[in-house]
Amino acid sequence: MAATQVPIQAGPGSQQDKMGWKELYLKEDWWAIWLGVGIVLVAWLFFVNGSSIKWIAVTPGKWSNFGQLAADFGAHIGQYFAQFVFWLAIFCVSVRVMGHKLGEFIPSFIFVYIASIVIFMIGAWDQASYYNLEPPLVALAFGLLLSNFVGLPKWMDTGFRVEYYVKTGIVLLGATLPFTLIVWAGPVAIAQASIVSIVTFLVIYFTGKKLGLDRRLCATLGAGGAVCGVSASIAVAGAVGAKKEDAPVAITMVIIWAIVMIFALPLASRLMGLSTGVAGAWIGTSEFADAAGFAAAQAYGNLAGQVQGIPGKPEDAVQTFTLMKVVGRDVWIGIWAFIMAIIATTRWEVQTGKKPDAAEIWWRFPKFVIGFAITSLFLTVVAAQYSRADFNKIVNPVLVAPIKDLRTWAFIFCFFSIGLTTRFRELAHAGTKPFWAFTTGVAVNVVLGYVLSVVVFGAYWSGIGR
Amino acid sequence: MNAAREGGSCRSCAHFHNDPKYLEAAFPGWTALGSAYGSTRAEDGICELHGLYLSAAQGCDRHEAKNCAPT
Repeated sequence: MAATQVPIQAGPGSQQDKMGWKELYLKEDWWAIWLGVGIVLVAWLFFVNGSSIKWIAVTPGKWSNFGQLAADFGAHIGQYFAQFVFWLAIFCVSVRVMGHKLGEFIPSFIFVYIASIVIFMIGAWDQASYYNLEPPLVALAFGLLLSNFVGLPKWMDTGFRVEYYVKTGIVLLGATLPFTLIVWAGPVAIAQASIVSIVTFLVIYFTGKKLGLDRRLCATLGAGGAVCGVSASIAVAGAVGAKKEDAPVAITMVIIWAIVMIFALPLASRLMGLSTGVAGAWIGTSEFADAAGFAAAQAYGNLAGQVQGIPGKPEDAVQTFTLMKVVGRDVWIGIWAFIMAIIATTRWEVQTGKKPDAAEIWWRFPKFVIGFAITSLFLTVVAAQYSRADFNKIVNPVLVAPIKDLRTWAFIFCFFSIGLTTRFRELAHAGTKPFWAFTTGVAVNVVLGYVLSVVVFGAYWSGIGR
Repeated sequence: MNAAREGGSCRSCAHFHNDPKYLEAAFPGWTALGSAYGSTRAEDGICELHGLYLSAAQGCDRHEAKNCAPT
Protein backbone atom coordinates (compact mmCIF):
# COMPACT_ATOMS: atom_id res chain seq x y z
CA MET A 1 0.00 0.00 0.00
CA ALA A 2 1.36 3.43 -0.86
CA ALA A 3 2.49 5.46 2.11
CA THR A 4 0.28 8.40 1.27
CA GLN A 5 -2.87 6.27 1.25
CA VAL A 6 -2.60 4.91 4.78
CA PRO A 7 -4.79 6.78 7.28
CA ILE A 8 -2.21 6.95 10.05
CA GLN A 9 -3.18 8.93 13.10
CA ALA A 10 -1.96 9.45 16.63
CA GLY A 11 -3.20 6.61 18.80
CA PRO A 12 -4.85 7.30 22.17
CA GLY A 13 -2.71 4.61 23.74
CA SER A 14 0.49 6.27 22.65
CA GLN A 15 1.40 7.23 26.21
CA GLN A 16 1.29 3.61 27.39
CA ASP A 17 4.36 1.42 27.80
CA LYS A 18 6.76 4.02 26.51
CA MET A 19 10.44 3.28 26.73
CA GLY A 20 10.96 6.69 28.37
CA TRP A 21 13.86 6.68 30.79
CA LYS A 22 14.39 2.97 30.39
CA GLU A 23 16.64 4.14 27.58
CA LEU A 24 19.19 4.88 30.31
CA TYR A 25 20.07 1.19 30.21
CA LEU A 26 18.51 0.03 26.93
CA LYS A 27 20.18 2.43 24.50
CA GLU A 28 23.84 2.27 23.61
CA ASP A 29 24.14 6.08 23.67
CA TRP A 30 23.70 6.02 27.43
CA TRP A 31 25.99 3.05 27.85
CA ALA A 32 28.67 4.94 25.91
CA ILE A 33 28.25 7.74 28.45
CA TRP A 34 28.47 5.38 31.44
CA LEU A 35 31.59 3.71 30.06
CA GLY A 36 33.31 6.85 28.77
CA VAL A 37 32.61 9.04 31.78
CA GLY A 38 33.40 6.12 34.09
CA ILE A 39 36.81 5.60 32.48
CA VAL A 40 37.61 9.32 32.74
CA LEU A 41 36.58 9.42 36.41
CA VAL A 42 38.66 6.33 37.24
CA ALA A 43 41.61 7.83 35.37
CA TRP A 44 41.23 11.03 37.38
CA LEU A 45 41.01 9.13 40.69
CA PHE A 46 44.24 7.31 39.86
CA PHE A 47 45.79 10.64 38.88
CA VAL A 48 44.91 12.52 42.09
CA ASN A 49 46.26 9.59 44.10
CA GLY A 50 49.61 9.83 42.39
CA SER A 51 49.09 6.98 39.94
CA SER A 52 47.84 6.49 36.38
CA ILE A 53 45.81 4.11 34.22
CA LYS A 54 48.54 4.18 31.58
CA TRP A 55 49.62 0.63 32.51
CA ILE A 56 46.36 -0.74 31.13
CA ALA A 57 46.16 1.74 28.23
CA VAL A 58 49.05 -0.02 26.52
CA THR A 59 49.68 0.47 22.80
CA PRO A 60 52.39 -0.95 20.51
CA GLY A 61 55.60 1.07 20.43
CA LYS A 62 57.26 2.24 17.22
CA TRP A 63 59.24 -0.52 15.53
CA SER A 64 61.40 -0.94 12.46
CA ASN A 65 62.01 -4.71 12.45
CA PHE A 66 60.19 -7.82 13.66
CA GLY A 67 62.67 -8.35 16.47
CA GLN A 68 61.73 -5.02 18.01
CA LEU A 69 58.04 -5.73 17.51
CA ALA A 70 58.26 -9.15 19.18
CA ALA A 71 60.32 -7.80 22.07
CA ASP A 72 57.87 -4.96 22.68
CA PHE A 73 54.86 -7.25 22.57
CA GLY A 74 56.52 -9.83 24.82
CA ALA A 75 57.38 -7.17 27.38
CA HIS A 76 53.78 -5.95 27.56
CA ILE A 77 51.77 -9.11 26.99
CA GLY A 78 50.38 -9.02 30.52
CA GLN A 79 49.15 -5.47 29.99
CA TYR A 80 47.44 -6.44 26.72
CA PHE A 81 45.72 -9.31 28.47
CA ALA A 82 44.58 -7.04 31.31
CA GLN A 83 43.30 -4.49 28.81
CA PHE A 84 41.43 -7.17 26.90
CA VAL A 85 39.76 -8.35 30.11
CA PHE A 86 38.89 -4.75 30.94
CA TRP A 87 37.20 -4.08 27.57
CA LEU A 88 35.50 -7.47 27.58
CA ALA A 89 34.09 -6.98 31.08
CA ILE A 90 32.64 -3.53 30.51
CA PHE A 91 31.23 -4.39 27.10
CA CYS A 92 29.79 -7.71 28.29
CA VAL A 93 27.77 -6.07 31.05
CA SER A 94 26.34 -3.45 28.72
CA VAL A 95 25.58 -5.62 25.69
CA ARG A 96 23.93 -8.22 27.92
CA VAL A 97 21.63 -5.61 29.46
CA MET A 98 20.76 -4.36 25.97
CA GLY A 99 19.71 -7.88 25.02
CA HIS A 100 22.64 -9.35 23.10
CA LYS A 101 23.83 -12.92 23.64
CA LEU A 102 27.16 -13.16 25.45
CA GLY A 103 27.74 -16.52 23.78
CA GLU A 104 27.92 -14.60 20.51
CA PHE A 105 29.55 -11.40 21.73
CA ILE A 106 32.50 -12.90 23.61
CA PRO A 107 34.08 -14.99 20.79
CA SER A 108 33.36 -12.19 18.35
CA PHE A 109 35.03 -9.56 20.54
CA ILE A 110 38.05 -11.82 21.10
CA PHE A 111 38.45 -11.86 17.31
CA VAL A 112 38.04 -8.06 17.11
CA TYR A 113 40.59 -7.44 19.86
CA ILE A 114 43.26 -9.75 18.44
CA ALA A 115 42.84 -8.24 14.97
CA SER A 116 42.99 -4.75 16.48
CA ILE A 117 46.36 -5.52 18.09
CA VAL A 118 47.69 -6.56 14.68
CA ILE A 119 46.23 -3.44 13.03
CA PHE A 120 47.72 -1.23 15.76
CA MET A 121 51.10 -2.93 15.28
CA ILE A 122 51.02 -2.29 11.53
CA GLY A 123 50.34 1.38 12.23
CA ALA A 124 53.31 1.51 14.62
CA TRP A 125 55.73 0.40 11.90
CA ASP A 126 58.08 3.28 11.12
CA GLN A 127 57.39 2.86 7.38
CA ALA A 128 53.60 2.70 7.75
CA SER A 129 52.93 6.25 6.55
CA TYR A 130 55.20 5.75 3.54
CA TYR A 131 53.02 2.82 2.44
CA ASN A 132 49.73 4.51 3.45
CA LEU A 133 49.19 1.87 6.13
CA GLU A 134 47.26 4.13 8.48
CA PRO A 135 45.45 2.01 11.12
CA PRO A 136 41.94 3.32 10.29
CA LEU A 137 42.36 2.49 6.61
CA VAL A 138 44.05 -0.84 7.30
CA ALA A 139 41.26 -1.78 9.73
CA LEU A 140 38.59 -0.86 7.22
CA ALA A 141 40.25 -2.58 4.26
CA PHE A 142 41.02 -5.72 6.28
CA GLY A 143 37.41 -5.87 7.51
CA LEU A 144 36.02 -5.34 4.00
CA LEU A 145 38.21 -8.11 2.61
CA LEU A 146 37.13 -10.55 5.31
CA SER A 147 33.42 -9.80 5.06
CA ASN A 148 33.18 -9.70 1.27
CA PHE A 149 35.70 -12.31 0.14
CA VAL A 150 36.08 -14.72 3.05
CA GLY A 151 32.83 -14.41 4.95
CA LEU A 152 32.26 -14.67 8.67
CA PRO A 153 29.28 -16.24 10.47
CA LYS A 154 26.39 -13.80 10.80
CA TRP A 155 26.16 -14.34 14.56
CA MET A 156 29.56 -12.67 14.92
CA ASP A 157 27.92 -9.33 14.07
CA THR A 158 26.96 -9.23 17.76
CA GLY A 159 30.54 -8.18 18.50
CA PHE A 160 30.90 -5.82 15.53
CA ARG A 161 29.04 -2.91 17.16
CA VAL A 162 30.32 -0.01 15.03
CA GLU A 163 28.13 2.66 16.59
CA TYR A 164 28.67 1.55 20.16
CA TYR A 165 32.43 1.61 19.78
CA VAL A 166 32.51 4.98 18.04
CA LYS A 167 30.17 6.56 20.60
CA THR A 168 32.35 5.27 23.44
CA GLY A 169 35.38 6.68 21.62
CA ILE A 170 33.68 10.06 21.16
CA VAL A 171 32.87 10.32 24.88
CA LEU A 172 36.55 9.57 25.63
CA LEU A 173 37.54 12.08 22.95
CA GLY A 174 35.78 14.79 24.96
CA ALA A 175 38.50 14.46 27.60
CA THR A 176 41.10 15.52 25.04
CA LEU A 177 39.14 18.44 23.60
CA PRO A 178 39.04 21.61 25.74
CA PHE A 179 35.49 22.73 26.48
CA THR A 180 36.55 26.29 25.77
CA LEU A 181 37.36 25.19 22.21
CA ILE A 182 33.86 23.75 21.80
CA VAL A 183 32.32 26.99 23.04
CA TRP A 184 34.63 29.10 20.88
CA ALA A 185 34.41 27.10 17.66
CA GLY A 186 30.92 25.69 18.08
CA PRO A 187 29.00 28.61 16.53
CA VAL A 188 31.20 28.60 13.41
CA ALA A 189 30.84 24.83 13.12
CA ILE A 190 27.07 25.07 13.50
CA ALA A 191 26.84 27.89 10.93
CA GLN A 192 28.98 26.05 8.38
CA ALA A 193 27.25 22.74 8.97
CA SER A 194 23.80 24.32 8.74
CA ILE A 195 24.55 25.90 5.36
CA VAL A 196 25.84 22.63 3.93
CA SER A 197 23.13 20.49 5.53
CA ILE A 198 20.23 22.60 4.30
CA VAL A 199 21.62 22.97 0.78
CA THR A 200 22.46 19.26 0.50
CA PHE A 201 19.07 18.19 1.80
CA LEU A 202 17.22 20.45 -0.62
CA VAL A 203 19.36 19.33 -3.57
CA ILE A 204 18.73 15.64 -2.87
CA TYR A 205 15.06 16.16 -2.08
CA PHE A 206 14.20 18.18 -5.17
CA THR A 207 16.42 16.11 -7.47
CA GLY A 208 14.59 13.03 -6.22
CA LYS A 209 11.23 14.71 -6.73
CA LYS A 210 12.25 15.76 -10.22
CA LEU A 211 13.16 12.15 -10.96
CA GLY A 212 9.72 11.04 -9.80
CA LEU A 213 10.63 9.51 -6.42
CA ASP A 214 8.17 9.42 -3.54
CA ARG A 215 8.67 12.44 -1.27
CA ARG A 216 9.19 10.23 1.79
CA LEU A 217 12.06 8.48 0.06
CA CYS A 218 13.40 11.87 -1.03
CA ALA A 219 13.34 13.09 2.58
CA THR A 220 14.96 9.87 3.84
CA LEU A 221 17.74 10.15 1.25
CA GLY A 222 18.15 13.87 1.90
CA ALA A 223 18.63 13.40 5.63
CA GLY A 224 21.23 10.68 4.99
CA GLY A 225 23.30 12.99 2.81
CA ALA A 226 22.81 16.15 4.81
CA VAL A 227 22.70 15.40 8.51
CA CYS A 228 24.09 12.25 9.96
CA GLY A 229 24.15 9.36 7.50
CA VAL A 230 22.33 6.17 8.38
CA SER A 231 21.04 7.43 11.74
CA ALA A 232 19.47 10.54 10.22
CA SER A 233 17.98 8.60 7.31
CA ILE A 234 16.27 6.19 9.64
CA ALA A 235 15.17 8.88 12.10
CA VAL A 236 13.55 10.89 9.29
CA ALA A 237 12.09 7.73 7.72
CA GLY A 238 10.33 7.04 11.01
CA ALA A 239 9.25 10.65 11.44
CA VAL A 240 7.60 10.84 8.01
CA GLY A 241 6.27 7.27 8.01
CA ALA A 242 8.34 6.12 5.03
CA LYS A 243 7.76 2.89 3.16
CA LYS A 244 9.54 -0.06 4.71
CA GLU A 245 11.83 -0.38 1.69
CA ASP A 246 12.88 3.31 1.70
CA ALA A 247 15.31 3.15 4.62
CA PRO A 248 17.40 0.28 3.17
CA VAL A 249 17.77 2.25 -0.08
CA ALA A 250 19.10 5.24 1.87
CA ILE A 251 21.37 2.96 3.92
CA THR A 252 22.88 1.56 0.72
CA MET A 253 23.57 5.02 -0.66
CA VAL A 254 25.09 6.30 2.58
CA ILE A 255 27.36 3.27 2.98
CA ILE A 256 28.65 3.34 -0.59
CA TRP A 257 29.47 7.04 -0.53
CA ALA A 258 30.77 7.01 3.04
CA ILE A 259 33.24 4.23 2.18
CA VAL A 260 34.33 6.10 -0.96
CA MET A 261 34.85 9.30 1.05
CA ILE A 262 36.92 7.56 3.74
CA PHE A 263 39.59 7.11 1.09
CA ALA A 264 38.80 10.03 -1.24
CA LEU A 265 38.72 12.96 1.20
CA PRO A 266 42.09 12.23 2.88
CA LEU A 267 43.62 11.57 -0.54
CA ALA A 268 42.29 14.85 -1.98
CA SER A 269 43.41 16.71 1.14
CA ARG A 270 46.88 15.21 0.82
CA LEU A 271 47.16 16.14 -2.84
CA MET A 272 46.19 19.71 -2.00
CA GLY A 273 48.45 19.82 1.07
CA LEU A 274 45.64 20.93 3.37
CA SER A 275 46.46 21.45 7.01
CA THR A 276 45.09 18.83 9.39
CA GLY A 277 42.65 21.31 10.91
CA VAL A 278 41.21 22.33 7.55
CA ALA A 279 41.02 18.76 6.27
CA GLY A 280 39.23 17.67 9.45
CA ALA A 281 36.65 20.42 9.00
CA TRP A 282 36.10 19.43 5.37
CA ILE A 283 35.73 15.78 6.30
CA GLY A 284 33.33 16.76 9.08
CA THR A 285 31.25 18.73 6.61
CA SER A 286 31.25 16.25 3.75
CA GLU A 287 31.44 12.75 5.27
CA PHE A 288 28.14 11.01 5.89
CA ALA A 289 28.62 9.10 9.12
CA ASP A 290 30.53 9.60 12.36
CA ALA A 291 32.39 6.30 12.23
CA ALA A 292 33.44 6.76 8.60
CA GLY A 293 34.45 10.36 9.22
CA PHE A 294 36.60 9.51 12.21
CA ALA A 295 38.40 6.91 10.10
CA ALA A 296 39.14 9.52 7.43
CA ALA A 297 40.09 12.29 9.89
CA GLN A 298 42.32 10.07 12.00
CA ALA A 299 44.01 8.63 8.93
CA TYR A 300 44.80 12.12 7.64
CA GLY A 301 45.86 13.44 11.03
CA ASN A 302 48.32 10.57 11.39
CA LEU A 303 50.12 11.80 8.27
CA ALA A 304 51.12 15.09 9.92
CA GLY A 305 54.73 14.91 10.96
CA GLN A 306 55.19 11.71 8.94
CA VAL A 307 54.66 13.06 5.43
CA GLN A 308 56.13 16.31 4.17
CA GLY A 309 53.77 19.10 3.11
CA ILE A 310 50.98 18.44 5.60
CA PRO A 311 50.91 21.25 8.14
CA GLY A 312 49.22 21.09 11.52
CA LYS A 313 49.17 18.69 14.46
CA PRO A 314 47.81 15.13 14.14
CA GLU A 315 45.11 15.81 16.73
CA ASP A 316 43.77 18.87 14.85
CA ALA A 317 42.07 16.73 12.18
CA VAL A 318 40.06 14.74 14.70
CA GLN A 319 39.25 17.86 16.73
CA THR A 320 37.93 19.95 13.83
CA PHE A 321 36.12 16.91 12.44
CA THR A 322 34.41 16.44 15.80
CA LEU A 323 33.43 20.08 16.01
CA MET A 324 31.92 20.01 12.53
CA LYS A 325 30.26 16.60 12.62
CA VAL A 326 29.25 16.04 16.23
CA VAL A 327 28.64 19.63 17.35
CA GLY A 328 27.68 21.11 13.98
CA ARG A 329 25.53 18.31 12.52
CA ASP A 330 24.69 15.39 14.79
CA VAL A 331 22.98 17.33 17.58
CA TRP A 332 20.32 18.64 15.19
CA ILE A 333 19.03 15.22 14.15
CA GLY A 334 15.98 15.41 16.43
CA ILE A 335 15.05 18.84 15.12
CA TRP A 336 15.32 17.64 11.51
CA ALA A 337 13.09 14.68 12.32
CA PHE A 338 10.58 16.90 14.13
CA ILE A 339 10.42 19.42 11.28
CA MET A 340 10.00 16.66 8.72
CA ALA A 341 7.26 15.09 10.86
CA ILE A 342 5.43 18.43 10.93
CA ILE A 343 5.75 18.80 7.16
CA ALA A 344 4.63 15.20 6.59
CA THR A 345 1.58 15.56 8.80
CA THR A 346 0.49 19.07 7.95
CA ARG A 347 1.33 19.27 4.26
CA TRP A 348 1.51 15.69 3.02
CA GLU A 349 -1.33 14.13 5.04
CA VAL A 350 -3.44 17.06 6.16
CA GLN A 351 -6.53 14.89 6.44
CA THR A 352 -5.26 12.87 9.42
CA GLY A 353 -4.73 15.91 11.61
CA LYS A 354 -2.15 14.22 13.86
CA LYS A 355 0.38 16.38 15.66
CA PRO A 356 4.04 15.49 16.14
CA ASP A 357 5.21 15.67 19.74
CA ALA A 358 8.06 18.13 20.37
CA ALA A 359 9.37 15.75 23.05
CA GLU A 360 10.61 13.60 20.18
CA ILE A 361 13.42 16.14 19.72
CA TRP A 362 14.77 15.03 23.08
CA TRP A 363 14.12 11.32 22.65
CA ARG A 364 15.92 11.36 19.28
CA PHE A 365 18.81 13.45 20.58
CA PRO A 366 22.12 11.54 20.20
CA LYS A 367 22.75 11.32 23.94
CA PHE A 368 26.41 10.33 23.64
CA VAL A 369 27.05 14.00 22.81
CA ILE A 370 26.12 14.77 26.43
CA GLY A 371 28.88 12.42 27.58
CA PHE A 372 31.30 14.08 25.15
CA ALA A 373 30.46 17.50 26.67
CA ILE A 374 30.75 16.17 30.26
CA THR A 375 34.22 14.68 29.78
CA SER A 376 35.38 17.79 27.94
CA LEU A 377 34.11 20.09 30.69
CA PHE A 378 35.52 17.87 33.44
CA LEU A 379 39.04 17.71 32.02
CA THR A 380 38.96 21.43 31.25
CA VAL A 381 38.21 22.16 34.91
CA VAL A 382 40.95 19.76 36.02
CA ALA A 383 43.45 21.32 33.60
CA ALA A 384 42.58 24.82 34.81
CA GLN A 385 44.24 23.97 38.16
CA TYR A 386 47.63 23.71 36.49
CA SER A 387 49.99 26.03 34.66
CA ARG A 388 50.57 25.29 30.98
CA ALA A 389 54.02 23.89 31.78
CA ASP A 390 52.67 21.60 34.50
CA PHE A 391 49.82 20.51 32.26
CA ASN A 392 52.26 19.44 29.55
CA LYS A 393 54.63 17.83 32.06
CA ILE A 394 52.18 16.17 34.46
CA VAL A 395 48.51 16.17 33.43
CA ASN A 396 48.95 15.35 29.77
CA PRO A 397 51.20 12.26 30.03
CA VAL A 398 49.70 10.84 33.23
CA LEU A 399 46.00 11.59 32.82
CA VAL A 400 45.10 12.67 29.26
CA ALA A 401 47.41 10.47 27.16
CA PRO A 402 46.13 7.12 28.57
CA ILE A 403 42.52 8.23 27.95
CA LYS A 404 43.53 9.13 24.39
CA ASP A 405 45.12 5.69 23.94
CA LEU A 406 41.95 3.94 25.12
CA ARG A 407 39.98 6.14 22.74
CA THR A 408 42.22 5.00 19.89
CA TRP A 409 41.49 1.37 20.78
CA ALA A 410 37.73 2.04 20.74
CA PHE A 411 38.06 3.68 17.33
CA ILE A 412 40.04 0.75 15.91
CA PHE A 413 37.35 -1.66 17.14
CA CYS A 414 34.92 0.62 15.29
CA PHE A 415 36.86 0.95 12.03
CA PHE A 416 37.45 -2.80 11.82
CA SER A 417 33.76 -3.42 12.54
CA ILE A 418 32.73 -1.07 9.70
CA GLY A 419 34.57 -3.31 7.28
CA LEU A 420 33.28 -6.50 8.86
CA THR A 421 29.62 -5.41 8.66
CA THR A 422 29.77 -3.86 5.18
CA ARG A 423 28.70 -6.76 2.96
CA PHE A 424 28.05 -5.19 -0.40
CA ARG A 425 26.09 -8.13 -1.79
CA GLU A 426 23.61 -7.89 1.12
CA LEU A 427 22.82 -4.21 0.64
CA ALA A 428 19.43 -3.34 -0.80
CA HIS A 429 19.30 -2.56 -4.51
CA ALA A 430 18.96 1.21 -4.63
CA GLY A 431 17.99 1.79 -8.26
CA THR A 432 19.28 4.48 -10.58
CA LYS A 433 16.92 7.29 -9.54
CA PRO A 434 17.82 7.21 -5.82
CA PHE A 435 21.46 6.83 -6.84
CA TRP A 436 21.44 9.97 -8.96
CA ALA A 437 19.42 11.97 -6.46
CA PHE A 438 21.84 11.12 -3.67
CA THR A 439 24.94 11.44 -5.82
CA THR A 440 23.92 14.93 -6.96
CA GLY A 441 23.73 15.88 -3.29
CA VAL A 442 27.13 14.30 -2.65
CA ALA A 443 28.71 16.40 -5.41
CA VAL A 444 27.20 19.62 -4.07
CA ASN A 445 28.08 18.68 -0.49
CA VAL A 446 31.75 17.96 -1.26
CA VAL A 447 32.26 21.14 -3.31
CA LEU A 448 30.39 23.39 -0.86
CA GLY A 449 32.16 21.72 2.07
CA TYR A 450 35.50 22.43 0.40
CA VAL A 451 34.65 26.07 -0.33
CA LEU A 452 33.50 26.73 3.25
CA SER A 453 36.26 24.74 4.99
CA VAL A 454 39.19 25.83 2.82
CA VAL A 455 38.29 29.15 1.19
CA VAL A 456 35.84 30.85 3.56
CA PHE A 457 36.89 29.52 6.99
CA GLY A 458 40.30 28.06 6.07
CA ALA A 459 42.32 30.40 8.29
CA TYR A 460 39.94 29.73 11.15
CA TRP A 461 40.15 25.93 10.96
CA SER A 462 43.90 25.83 10.33
CA GLY A 463 44.45 27.90 13.48
CA ILE A 464 42.22 25.78 15.69
CA GLY A 465 45.10 23.96 17.37
CA ARG A 466 46.67 27.22 18.46
CA MET B 1 -10.05 -6.85 18.54
CA ASN B 2 -11.27 -4.40 21.13
CA ALA B 3 -8.02 -2.58 20.86
CA ALA B 4 -8.59 -2.27 17.16
CA ARG B 5 -11.92 -0.59 17.73
CA GLU B 6 -10.34 1.68 20.32
CA GLY B 7 -7.54 2.53 17.89
CA GLY B 8 -4.51 1.86 20.11
CA SER B 9 -1.04 3.07 19.21
CA CYS B 10 1.40 1.15 17.06
CA ARG B 11 3.47 0.54 20.20
CA SER B 12 0.89 -1.96 21.45
CA CYS B 13 -0.04 -3.39 18.03
CA ALA B 14 0.74 -6.93 16.94
CA HIS B 15 1.61 -5.71 13.43
CA PHE B 16 4.26 -3.33 14.77
CA HIS B 17 7.83 -4.55 15.37
CA ASN B 18 10.46 -2.33 16.94
CA ASP B 19 12.76 -4.81 18.61
CA PRO B 20 16.25 -3.57 17.63
CA LYS B 21 17.46 -7.04 16.66
CA TYR B 22 14.43 -7.49 14.39
CA LEU B 23 14.99 -4.09 12.79
CA GLU B 24 18.70 -4.64 12.16
CA ALA B 25 17.85 -7.91 10.42
CA ALA B 26 15.10 -6.23 8.38
CA PHE B 27 17.27 -3.32 7.18
CA PRO B 28 20.45 -4.76 5.64
CA GLY B 29 23.52 -2.62 6.19
CA TRP B 30 22.13 -0.69 9.14
CA THR B 31 24.82 -1.97 11.53
CA ALA B 32 27.68 -0.98 9.19
CA LEU B 33 27.32 2.72 9.97
CA GLY B 34 24.45 2.84 12.42
CA SER B 35 22.56 0.95 15.06
CA ALA B 36 18.99 0.17 16.02
CA TYR B 37 20.12 0.46 19.64
CA GLY B 38 20.86 4.19 19.29
CA SER B 39 18.83 7.05 20.73
CA THR B 40 18.06 8.63 17.37
CA ARG B 41 15.72 5.78 16.42
CA ALA B 42 13.56 6.56 19.45
CA GLU B 43 10.92 3.78 19.38
CA ASP B 44 10.28 3.68 15.65
CA GLY B 45 9.52 0.34 14.07
CA ILE B 46 8.01 -1.49 11.14
CA CYS B 47 4.29 -1.91 10.56
CA GLU B 48 4.15 -5.18 8.65
CA LEU B 49 0.49 -4.62 7.82
CA HIS B 50 0.96 -1.34 5.95
CA GLY B 51 4.61 -1.88 5.00
CA LEU B 52 5.72 1.31 6.70
CA TYR B 53 8.54 2.35 9.00
CA LEU B 54 7.03 4.76 11.50
CA SER B 55 6.83 6.15 15.00
CA ALA B 56 5.48 3.96 17.82
CA ALA B 57 3.09 6.77 18.71
CA GLN B 58 1.18 6.38 15.44
CA GLY B 59 -1.96 4.33 15.15
CA CYS B 60 -4.73 3.29 12.79
CA ASP B 61 -8.10 1.56 12.83
CA ARG B 62 -6.47 -1.77 11.91
CA HIS B 63 -4.82 -1.99 15.32
CA GLU B 64 -4.51 -5.48 16.81
CA ALA B 65 -3.50 -5.78 20.42
CA LYS B 66 -0.21 -7.63 20.85
CA ASN B 67 -1.86 -10.45 22.80
CA CYS B 68 -4.34 -11.07 19.93
CA ALA B 69 -3.43 -12.89 16.75
CA PRO B 70 -3.25 -10.50 13.83
CA THR B 71 -5.89 -11.00 11.18
